[in-house]
Amino acid sequence: MVKLFNWSRGILLAFFCLLLVRVFLPLPFAIEIIIFATYTMGCNFLLGRVGFISFGQPAYLAVGAYATSFYLFYFGTNPIIGILLGILAGVAVALIIGPFFVRLRSDYFALVNLALAVIVFYLFEKVLASITHGDNGLWFLTNIASTPGLDLGVPSDFFIFVFLVAFGVWVLYKYLDDSIFGACCQATKTNEDKVKFLGYSNFKIRFLAFIIANTTTALAGSLYAVYFGFVSPEIASPSRAADPVIVTLLGGVGTLYGPIVGAFAYTGMKDLISGYISNWELFIGLLLVFIMLAGEKGIWGSLEPVLKRTFSKKGKPTT
Amino acid sequence: MPTDEILAVEGLNVAYGESKVLFDVSIHINANEIVSCVGRNGAGKSTLLRTISGFVKPTSGTVMFADTSLVGIKCYDIARMGLKYIPQDKKVFSDLTVRENLELGSYATQDYNWDKVTEYFPKLTLLMERKAGYLSGGERQMLMIGRALLGDPKVLLVDEPTEGLAPSIVAQLQNVFLELSKKAALVIVEQNLSLVSAISQRVYAVKEGRVVHEISDEGEIKNNVCEKYL
Amino acid sequence: MDPQLLISGVIFGLSIGSVFFLLSIGLSLCFGLMRIISLDQLLYYAIGAYITYTLYLVTGSVWIGVLGGMVISGIVAFGVERFIFLRIYERDITFTMIASFGILFAGVGAIKYIWGLAPLPVPSPINAMASIFGTEIPIYRLIVIVISFLVYVSIWAFLNKTITGKAIRAGIENVEHVEGLGINVYKLFTTTFIISGVLSGLAGGLHAPLIMVDPQMGLEVLPFVFMVVIIGGLGSIKGTLVSAFIVGQVISLGAIIYGPLAQMAPFAIMLLILLIKPTGLYGSKMLKR
Ligand SMILES: Nc1ncnc2c1ncn2[C@@H]1O[C@H](COP(=O)(O)OP(=O)(O)O)[C@@H](O)[C@H]1O
Ligand SMILES: [Mg+2]
Repeated sequence: MVKLFNWSRGILLAFFCLLLVRVFLPLPFAIEIIIFATYTMGCNFLLGRVGFISFGQPAYLAVGAYATSFYLFYFGTNPIIGILLGILAGVAVALIIGPFFVRLRSDYFALVNLALAVIVFYLFEKVLASITHGDNGLWFLTNIASTPGLDLGVPSDFFIFVFLVAFGVWVLYKYLDDSIFGACCQATKTNEDKVKFLGYSNFKIRFLAFIIANTTTALAGSLYAVYFGFVSPEIASPSRAADPVIVTLLGGVGTLYGPIVGAFAYTGMKDLISGYISNWELFIGLLLVFIMLAGEKGIWGSLEPVLKRTFSKKGKPTT
Repeated sequence: MPTDEILAVEGLNVAYGESKVLFDVSIHINANEIVSCVGRNGAGKSTLLRTISGFVKPTSGTVMFADTSLVGIKCYDIARMGLKYIPQDKKVFSDLTVRENLELGSYATQDYNWDKVTEYFPKLTLLMERKAGYLSGGERQMLMIGRALLGDPKVLLVDEPTEGLAPSIVAQLQNVFLELSKKAALVIVEQNLSLVSAISQRVYAVKEGRVVHEISDEGEIKNNVCEKYL
Repeated sequence: MDPQLLISGVIFGLSIGSVFFLLSIGLSLCFGLMRIISLDQLLYYAIGAYITYTLYLVTGSVWIGVLGGMVISGIVAFGVERFIFLRIYERDITFTMIASFGILFAGVGAIKYIWGLAPLPVPSPINAMASIFGTEIPIYRLIVIVISFLVYVSIWAFLNKTITGKAIRAGIENVEHVEGLGINVYKLFTTTFIISGVLSGLAGGLHAPLIMVDPQMGLEVLPFVFMVVIIGGLGSIKGTLVSAFIVGQVISLGAIIYGPLAQMAPFAIMLLILLIKPTGLYGSKMLKR
């Protein structure tokens, strides 16, 4: 009971902050942060729990975004169905390529994923140009029908929707973290042989983690597509491959709040800095190097122990 | 203690991350002495040798080599100063020839006098151009010990040298160690008790990260007292 | 297929492969010895190209530019190694990879700051054509191929004939044993890193007249360089050579057959090879240090 109370309090706290964001910051900014955080959760899980670094997340993002967009552009009008199709596409792609990828050593995994992002980019830009309209992209904002209850076409309703979705994903990861599966993931990261001795399969654990993480990423892609009512190959652009990795690190690898904190900091900085200097790569790059030299813990990773200490001091009399 | 002490380890504590492996270990080695370390697998013998030679940082404790403190000195500098560690894994540079392996042994100290190697291991002269990866286990061990001899080390730390080797080779190594002790002190980690009793002047028994016994009586060593620590 | 098209396609592929090879040696060597994935090599490639451009403007000679590019790339690589990598060699490979990505990113920003966003042209130092079986081939492309071949031979000689090279080969097998012989491996690391940086700079300088020099050029070749090192196997020079030329040919011949194939085919081949051998053609099953 105490445990349940503790972590539900944690969740509430984090999302309370997000609600504050909604109140005090412009709506597009808030929506962007939430989708970005969802996008990063997959990468964070892969890196923090399984030890796989992926510079290829845009590929999976694009898969979700394009699945949703194809539906909304060519076939239907219901954004919910569109998003569900995006998720399905994410699962399907992960099922197909996962078996090849998760066998790789983590360094090769990183390289292969980035290469994948490039391929997906060209696939959508050139090879499938007849249905993706190449760089012009697909515009379908007007196709999106209003949905009963929460109308996803209305930004304020859409905010609540993505908020709930992100919340659901977050709870899922929290649950996974505490489950046997979470422990197995940790174990494959640190010691493959021990996992084998315990009678679990490294391959299966990684495969499952791969599916979960990349489906989350595809979901984020779908959300982007519905939000903008537009998709172009730019979403898979390899030059943005580092974004989720940076956000993961910025927030703190493997921490549950990391993606939220990181997405907030990153989006905020990007908006702030690009107001002053046009090339924020310099800044982001130096920041990355700095995080690595400073001990790779990120913002939340550095804050967490401090918060925990203050928290436990306060909590002591009651326990 | 006699004045010709060459290696003195005092109160050494070593941990890998969270797990402590060595507890308050102290050993002393005199010049030209052969000292063995015995103990079960996982007792921490390799860790002890690796800490002395600078590959592992101790959490506390001192290591004195003659008059120099070794703690904090880089492992390659320690090797150059004349304290060589010969690892357990018998991994020579398999892509390099025997000659090239020896060249690398000579490189740091610029000691190219290979006679002192072939004197002990004449067989290596015949194998000079062979890739070390094609050597037999015994030949590899000869090469590992041989290339460590260049630069005239004062202390040799030898980690399980006879593991998996044929008896004839073990006998040969036994003679080599006895010969070598004229020039250097040897610390040998060994499971082969007949070798231990044949060459050691003293034996340290290591158990679960602690030195539990020191046997310096020759009769006791000859009577395989250390058996109970294996 | 038209034989003229085929010959020029093969030569084109060889020259592209040459550039990829020069650029991938650094990545491969650094991985082999230091167990880092040095994405910042792509920055030295861009620096090599930009210095070539600037020195060409100043001196009027592309060759002086290429030489200057190699020198500056080497110096920058040396600085990066000193101030960043030296502190993080011990860390997990994924983390050095992220740090190197940060360096690359920051470098792209710095290049934009110094040279601006617009692509810049570098003229070919030799405009003459040679005739091979009746097909006109730009001599410059042939020179690029010859230079990369010479580099391969020199690297081979360096690794096999000099004591530093032998120590590097030994270190690729087992760094600890090299240290155990009293050799300062950090000096080897620095040497290797500078060599890698210089060769990446050379790749950039030689590539510059064949393309437009632009700030993103490092990121643009990145996937191909990845494919080269993956197909060849991280840490193997010979594998890098073989796979650079495979990738070069697949790109150029693929483009003749069907445009988009140029980008897709190497990836398909990479997947196929990884399926058969997860560590690439010549990669060994090396463990993390
Ligand atoms: N690099 C390492 N990281 C973590 N633990 C280690 C490492 N090397 C050895 N150990 C642990 O330290 C203990 C002592 O190992 P070791 O010194 O190799 O023992 P021995 O040589 O006596 O067999 C063992 O429990 C082993 O699991
Ligand atoms: Mg041992």
